Amino acid sequence: MRGRDVMRRTVAGQWRSAAGSAVLGAGHQTGEVLVPVVIGVVIDEAIRTGDGSALVRWTIVLALVFTGLSLSYRFCFRLAERASERAAHALRMELTRRTLDPRGGAEAGRLPGELASVASGDTKRVGAVHVALAAGATALAGMLAGGVALLAVSVPLGLLVLLGIPPVLGLAHLLGKPLERHSGAEQERAAHASGVAADLIAGLRVLKGLGAERAAVERYRRTSRDSLAATVRAARAQAWHDGVMLMVTGAFIAVVALVGGRLAVSGDITVGQLVAAVGLAQFLLTPLSILAWANGEFAQGRASAARVAAVLGAPPAVAGGEGGPPRPVRGGIRLVDVAHGDALRKLNLEAAPGEMLGVVTTDPAAATALLRLLGRSADPDSGTVELDGTPLSALDPAEVRRTVLVADHDADLFEGTLLENVAAPAAGRPVEPAMAAASADEVAADLPHGAGTVLTERGRSLSGGQRQRVALARALAAAAPVLVLHDPTTAVDAVTEARIAAGLRAVRAGRTTIVVATGPALLAAADRVVLVEGGAVTAEGVHARLVHEYPAYRAAVL
Amino acid sequence: MATTHERELLPTASAARTGAAVRALARPHRRTLAAGFLTLVAATAAGLLTAPVLGRVIDLVAGGAPASAITAPAGWLAVIAVVQGVATAYGLGLVARAGEGMLATLRERFVDRALRLPLERVERAGSGDLTSRVTNDVTVITTVVREAVPALGRSLLTIALTLVALAVLDWRFLLVALLAVPVQAHTVRWYVRRAVPLYAAQRVAIGAQQQELLGSVGGASTVRAFRLEDEHAERVGRRSLAAVELALKGVRLVTRFYSRLNLAEFVGLAAVLAAGFLLVRNGSVSIGTASAAALYFHNLFGPINVALGLVDDAQSALAGLARLIGVADTAPVPSERPAEPARDGTIRVEGVGYSYRPGHPVLHDIDLHIAEKERVALVGASGAGKTTLARLIAGIHAPDTGTLTVGGAEPRPDDAAGSGRRVALVTQEVHVFTGPLADDLRLARPEATDEELREALERVGALRWARALPQGLDTVVGESGHRLTAAQAQQLALARLVLADPPVVVLDEATAEAGSAGARELESAADAAAEGRTALIVAHRLTQAATADRIITLDAGRVVESGPHRELVEAGGRYAELWRAWSDGRRDDL
Repeated sequence: MRGRDVMRRTVAGQWRSAAGSAVLGAGHQTGEVLVPVVIGVVIDEAIRTGDGSALVRWTIVLALVFTGLSLSYRFCFRLAERASERAAHALRMELTRRTLDPRGGAEAGRLPGELASVASGDTKRVGAVHVALAAGATALAGMLAGGVALLAVSVPLGLLVLLGIPPVLGLAHLLGKPLERHSGAEQERAAHASGVAADLIAGLRVLKGLGAERAAVERYRRTSRDSLAATVRAARAQAWHDGVMLMVTGAFIAVVALVGGRLAVSGDITVGQLVAAVGLAQFLLTPLSILAWANGEFAQGRASAARVAAVLGAPPAVAGGEGGPPRPVRGGIRLVDVAHGDALRKLNLEAAPGEMLGVVTTDPAAATALLRLLGRSADPDSGTVELDGTPLSALDPAEVRRTVLVADHDADLFEGTLLENVAAPAAGRPVEPAMAAASADEVAADLPHGAGTVLTERGRSLSGGQRQRVALARALAAAAPVLVLHDPTTAVDAVTEARIAAGLRAVRAGRTTIVVATGPALLAAADRVVLVEGGAVTAEGVHARLVHEYPAYRAAVL
Repeated sequence: MATTHERELLPTASAARTGAAVRALARPHRRTLAAGFLTLVAATAAGLLTAPVLGRVIDLVAGGAPASAITAPAGWLAVIAVVQGVATAYGLGLVARAGEGMLATLRERFVDRALRLPLERVERAGSGDLTSRVTNDVTVITTVVREAVPALGRSLLTIALTLVALAVLDWRFLLVALLAVPVQAHTVRWYVRRAVPLYAAQRVAIGAQQQELLGSVGGASTVRAFRLEDEHAERVGRRSLAAVELALKGVRLVTRFYSRLNLAEFVGLAAVLAAGFLLVRNGSVSIGTASAAALYFHNLFGPINVALGLVDDAQSALAGLARLIGVADTAPVPSERPAEPARDGTIRVEGVGYSYRPGHPVLHDIDLHIAEKERVALVGASGAGKTTLARLIAGIHAPDTGTLTVGGAEPRPDDAAGSGRRVALVTQEVHVFTGPLADDLRLARPEATDEELREALERVGALRWARALPQGLDTVVGESGHRLTAAQAQQLALARLVLADPPVVVLDEATAEAGSAGARELESAADAAAEGRTALIVAHRLTQAATADRIITLDAGRVVESGPHRELVEAGGRYAELWRAWSDGRRDDL
């Protein structure tokens, strides 16, 4: 999928609104054109002649023009904005569903914040193309209406204005361009000051911890002064850009007045028509600048559409496999000659149904790879990962995860209360045992509203240890036939870790649990521990024996 | 850590105080401001001459003048354009210089005060309060000063001077033009009453949508693992639709606002035309004057829409300004006494108790002596008071009862002498400051040479990866630069500690976030950083505790054990139990 396809679908999806707003926009511009024309007519027909009934008549016409332009403006923009917002919403949902697809792949090579910003910012900019479309159509209609009106007043004057405006704006653009470019670069440097301030505040505790406040303030002052100098230069460039625009357009109006005045003197046009022509010449500068703006919006929309398309079109991380595991699920896991990347080579591993197996890896990458394979977030390069004798690659990833729950070390918590987070995968089962086993009940007791406390910023309001315990409680509450835990207690103190190890064993009794960790308390609670070195198993046994007999194991866990 | 107390937001300045602060900020720039304002008045006035000159052309035409007579007024129009352009550019430049200068002073004062606020105070308010002030409020004010204020200023000047010019043409033109004012005033009141709550709701909805996206899309792998895909897609949909609804409500409001302004335009324009009709008929003014009046009024549409459209920008900027000035006005923490030089690294804690909330003590009657260069590990369950004790020693809180001295003096948050202090605290909360890696390190010691930076990195085992960065120590790291891993960020924190070189260090779970894989590496980095100093280490991993000179076990806010590893293991108390669970025991052996 390419950006162009996203753009086309976006516009096509809301074409009724888009077309409606373009028509109404044309109506609005026509109205705007008619205002100076009617002013001219009033001067000619009423003020010059002293005809009172003409004044009344043309005032009513003016009222009608205003009503028309006002209503068409109102509904033009409502339609355009509605199309824009709806298109953005539709894209946002498509993007969300693609990202959450069980087969994955959308997040490959992207930071989490980046995906979220594509889903919020880029979808919005793609949707905003509808507003640019409406504005562009409006501007074109305005130019057309203005041109027709001017030509109706006087062909030579009309031609002068219509042919004169593009070079005038071109000239202003040319004169302003270097200034504007200058300004853009300076603005960027200027924005730096706000960024640095936010960054220092974000690191407030670190600064306080070191006593580096004074150094930070000094540094900020320098940044701020640099920024100030850049901003002032940028503002000056921008000011001259505005000034040049005023000069060029003003000179153009002078030429129109000169030519129009001469035409009026020679009787080719009336006084009122001269007034209308000057008004139109001023008016026509606006649609052209709107067109330039719309063009810029389109360019942004195209860039955003390309980013959206890249996510939507990302290949799935795991392809193939539609089936479900054999029922009833017993929960046996077996890895046969598994190789994956550099991390795993010829790994053979088995967890019997109901067993609690500890896995210690000397290489963190091996742990990550193992976890991805067990949850079928990836398929092995060679060898098989089996659930009750069926290769995972033959199973639908969603079905795999119904049986095998992989709880990552850095699992995210979600917006909502602590209890909602824990209960989300519990399907109505009581969560108290899980909460107690993970010592998450203690976390709840420390919070202002207990388990009903809302976790803001995705749980970042909790400390690392608190977050880990809530995440562990959630994993336990899911009561999956096979649970794979990765470093569930690294940020938890030794006392609590020992309690969690015992609780974990009790709550998971009778179900398969694989703990990929190096915490001795957890490993001591496992039925059996395997040591993975160089991508393959090099030792296995109970924790106590491994500690005594294998220096490599001891070095890894103590 | 106790997070149960009520939020107490940082102060917000009153309207009067905000006004006074703005005037004070403007004082050093008053000459520039006055010059800029006068230049803009001149520019606007010049621009307004266009209409009467056009009126003159019309009168010449109506009076049957020769074609050559048109040349002079057309020339004047060109001169006006040049004067207006130059004066506008010059005036805007001056106003921007003053405005940006004021803005810079304000943000510097804000950052200065914000960084000196006692940490306790910031935490009471929630760190989000300060962050939102420095990000949202500063951004809003900056945009308004840069874009809205010049536009608003020019529009208001144009409006004011146009009204003057109308009066100069004939005072009766001004009178009828003012018929539009009641409609406009009513419209603005109507709009502001609805817009303020609506935009506030909009900001909340967009924030909620953003958070939901960060959680659901950013946390996609967790969502998939728990098979919550449908639920989360639905949650995103709900948030997104709510934001869309409010955005469209806002659009409806804005379009109705401008429709009502259209009515004012019509009323005013019809009145000016009717007045022109009557005045021309009774011979008070010429057709040219009547035309000029009509053109004047027609040209007011743009500036009026701009000015009224900026009403809510101006309002939100004022609200933000009050919040910034509220912080900038807080008195800097007074230095009660000159900072005493660090004498030694002994820590004495005698009978210390502390509670975050009255009646809920976290620490009771703690007695503790730590000798110079002794390394002490603090062990205990969550909630035992380890972090609180660490923070008391670091001077973040003052004890409720008892005495606590470091190097013979009370540790205070403001005792920073020069760029360092007696006690440095490193927690599991890491932050990488955006900018070159060397700049980040130099926060701890601004005058450090490159060689010293490299030595500090080497000491905590970070030199290898630091050298391997694309531009070495000059590599831009942090939010917008090269992302460091959690373990690297923590090593960086320890390297800063080495550079700050305090006699006493407090490490609160400084190795916790790395996951088990990086923990060992960080532990040796922490050991290296603490070498040669008095160190209090809050340890999660008992292996880190085991290497300390002494271990202190805290339980429910009291010291229950104290002694070297071997001694405590042999004593068979709490610590011994823990150690057995760690080192080789089976759970059921305990």
